[in-house]
Amino acid sequence: MKWEEMERDVIRCTKCGSCQAVCPIFKELQSESSVARGKVSLMKAVLKGNVEPTAEFIEKMALCLNCKACTVNCPSKTPVDHLVLQTREKLVGEHGLPLVKRLVLRMALKHRKLFDMGMNMGSVFQGLVLKEVKGKGVLPRLPMGLKQKRLLAPVASQSFKSRYPERVEVEKPRETVVFFTGCTINYMFPEIGVAVVEVLKKNNINVIIPGNQHCCGTPAYANGDVTTAIELARATVDALSIPGTDAVITACGSCGSAIRKEYQDLLKNQPGYPEKVEALAKKTVDFTEYLVKIGIKVSDLKPINRVVTYHESCHLTRGQGVKTEPRQVMTSIPGVTLKEMKEPGRCCGMAGSFSLSHYELARKINQHKIDDIISTGADTLITGCGSCIMHIRDGIYQNGLKIEVLHTAELLAEAYK
Amino acid sequence: MKKEIIEQLKNIVGKQHVLDKYEDLICYTYDASSITVGKNEVPALVVFPADANEISQILRLANVEKFPVIPRGAGTNVTGGTISRADCVVMIMSRMNRILNIDQGNMIAELEPGVVTADFQTEVEKLGLFYPPDPASKGYSSMGGNVAECAGGPRGAKYGVTRDYVLGLEVVLPTGEIIKTGARTMKSVAGYDMTRLITGSEGTLAVITKIIVKLLPLPEAKKTMLVIFDDLNKACETVSKVFLSGIIPTTLELLDNIFINCIEDYAHVGLPKDAEAVLLIEVDGDKDILDKQVNIITEICKKQGATSVKVAKDAAESEQLWVARRSSFASVSMIAPTIVGEDATVPRDKIPQAVADVRAIAKKYNIKIAVQGHAGDGNLHATILADERDKELMERVELAAGEIFKSTLALGGTLTGEHGIGRVKARYLVLEIGEDGLKLMKAIKKTFDPNNILNPGQFLGE
Repeated sequence: MKWEEMERDVIRCTKCGSCQAVCPIFKELQSESSVARGKVSLMKAVLKGNVEPTAEFIEKMALCLNCKACTVNCPSKTPVDHLVLQTREKLVGEHGLPLVKRLVLRMALKHRKLFDMGMNMGSVFQGLVLKEVKGKGVLPRLPMGLKQKRLLAPVASQSFKSRYPERVEVEKPRETVVFFTGCTINYMFPEIGVAVVEVLKKNNINVIIPGNQHCCGTPAYANGDVTTAIELARATVDALSIPGTDAVITACGSCGSAIRKEYQDLLKNQPGYPEKVEALAKKTVDFTEYLVKIGIKVSDLKPINRVVTYHESCHLTRGQGVKTEPRQVMTSIPGVTLKEMKEPGRCCGMAGSFSLSHYELARKINQHKIDDIISTGADTLITGCGSCIMHIRDGIYQNGLKIEVLHTAELLAEAYK
Repeated sequence: MKKEIIEQLKNIVGKQHVLDKYEDLICYTYDASSITVGKNEVPALVVFPADANEISQILRLANVEKFPVIPRGAGTNVTGGTISRADCVVMIMSRMNRILNIDQGNMIAELEPGVVTADFQTEVEKLGLFYPPDPASKGYSSMGGNVAECAGGPRGAKYGVTRDYVLGLEVVLPTGEIIKTGARTMKSVAGYDMTRLITGSEGTLAVITKIIVKLLPLPEAKKTMLVIFDDLNKACETVSKVFLSGIIPTTLELLDNIFINCIEDYAHVGLPKDAEAVLLIEVDGDKDILDKQVNIITEICKKQGATSVKVAKDAAESEQLWVARRSSFASVSMIAPTIVGEDATVPRDKIPQAVADVRAIAKKYNIKIAVQGHAGDGNLHATILADERDKELMERVELAAGEIFKSTLALGGTLTGEHGIGRVKARYLVLEIGEDGLKLMKAIKKTFDPNNILNPGQFLGE
């Protein structure tokens, strides 16, 4: 795709500035180039030849969380989220990927077995470089590109997929679903995957966990590596399109958003795929949406004494439009009180590799989320995305707080125990 | 700009509070207007001062070294009032964003210019108080910018505009002196009304560093109604009849047939596409009185030949009725990539003629112009559907806009109700105020700013 092809979308922006009200990065930096209006103007300047794609320009385009708040809020419906990704794609095409990202995205992510092996070795050797903070996570021992004070999720000693057979069957099944785990759940938080499967079992649902499923491609797409993203998207579509199944379940905002929304664009020129993508998108639902659709079995839910507050993951709420269902299933648990925070839809600042490359800024953005959580008085934060969980746990740890951060599935699993 | 001057400016505000990279600077060559200037007019530096004292130092330096200074809030004005020029310093007010006090007893508040208008409104409403001006940008525009532009909004019909709430200011003059205008009182006639002169001066006379506003008690409730007409004249006559009945609605928003069609195609809200006008009417005040007011307005609308009157039963239904109005901009922007919005304003009873004139002009230049407006105060927004990639079309748009201004003045109206003149309408100002009026304004500017430092090249020209 050429720069010129972006023009029609670029000139949609009337520069009204309404993105200033919602952009988490602008709220911290206050500079015009950091807000959507500025980024789109920079793209326009490149089109006009007034700006060269310099290193500084590349950095400006990196300063986007892809939280979609500007896009949803835009009065003239400028697709800023896609424009930023298209720009990154072009920059990668013209300037290539930085070495570290190239290694991760092209070598590891693309090759499932290599990635599996790397992650398994990682879980054994991580003790050398990561120091455990009991019950909380790990801190880097050495700088190695990571901030040493940052709490990370360790690579699990046993991945999620290795804990279950490919078919988990129940007696008298109501339906059969395919579960797409995503990398975060499979390697970092297998307990979330376990919770999803256990809750589905309690609801009499057969679960297929395809062994050949891999990364959905979001990290590659977000970093402008569209070639890799397309390859991963095709593989995901192939792995999940299983005849005779009733739904495809995701429990990660970003994975679900990719399958339901981004693939249409990503695979539009891949022969045979647009039809498959459409069929798959129709079948794919968030875990909580599915439970609401089939009617969650409320009778077996035991009371839990928790005051919870809910964080809306960007890609679950704005990417997929799932807002009410997580709240509905949470509050169906006896004893659970939901206390809404002021801005549940405000980005937590994680944004995948953004929080690694721009940790200090990602922390500042996260602090607003933490303050909002504190003001509710809740003892538990619930959300529907593993990445948010990792970043919010770090925020809770940095603030020395004792608030538990759980996935919606984990809360439900606890009530079904 | 000389390196030493840039160093001096960095020393005044602190290195961490400036932007000097080209990719940052070029982002101040535009605001929310249709203008974007070229790379020859990229600012030399962007500064974020902390207080009036730093601003004073910057302006004193500017008078010595003769560089222009452009004060800028959120950059949401629509007439080019905050755009950079060659070798200038753009001064952003966003660090000065504190609400200094909300005085419940006297119902006034004192705040800094960088406070976002809607944030301020939320804070005073928590205390049962009310700051009415509601420009469409209130969620992201700043109070300093609102005062500098004298922002309006839909509530103007009942509550007036920004100037009706500004009691006093602290400003830095272009030559660096810090002065106070007005008072913390409802009445004050001590000398010239400098507060009013600076309010709406589009950043050409002084940099606003503190604002004292008066507040009202927060109305207890509001009621919304949507009225459909098959004739624009009937709709406009209805507006006058409502006022004459003794009821002053908070908002009286008008949408013309082109908007009705665009909105219906876009949002499917159930508007009849052959309707000639939609009025969105809102009343506010004491709960018990509202039903009575709504009944009277309904009676008037029916008598005037309205084809449908819908009254919202609750907040959710009221929100439904507002969907039509709120989606108006998105609906036209879906069919045209460039939207040029004008805000010529006429006496209320001239609205039908003004709309007829706009239609004739649209026909003459073969362009599409939709009209919406704050019918309660005659403030029309002729919305031109354009495409900036089409040079020939843009020339016709420019000519059409010029004719709209002339026809507005012929009807006893004004070039702008709330957007201001800025750069966009500078050459038309003389049509309204005359050569002598312009001469006086230039003399005032010269008195304030002998070296033409502050936001030069705005409505007074070079």
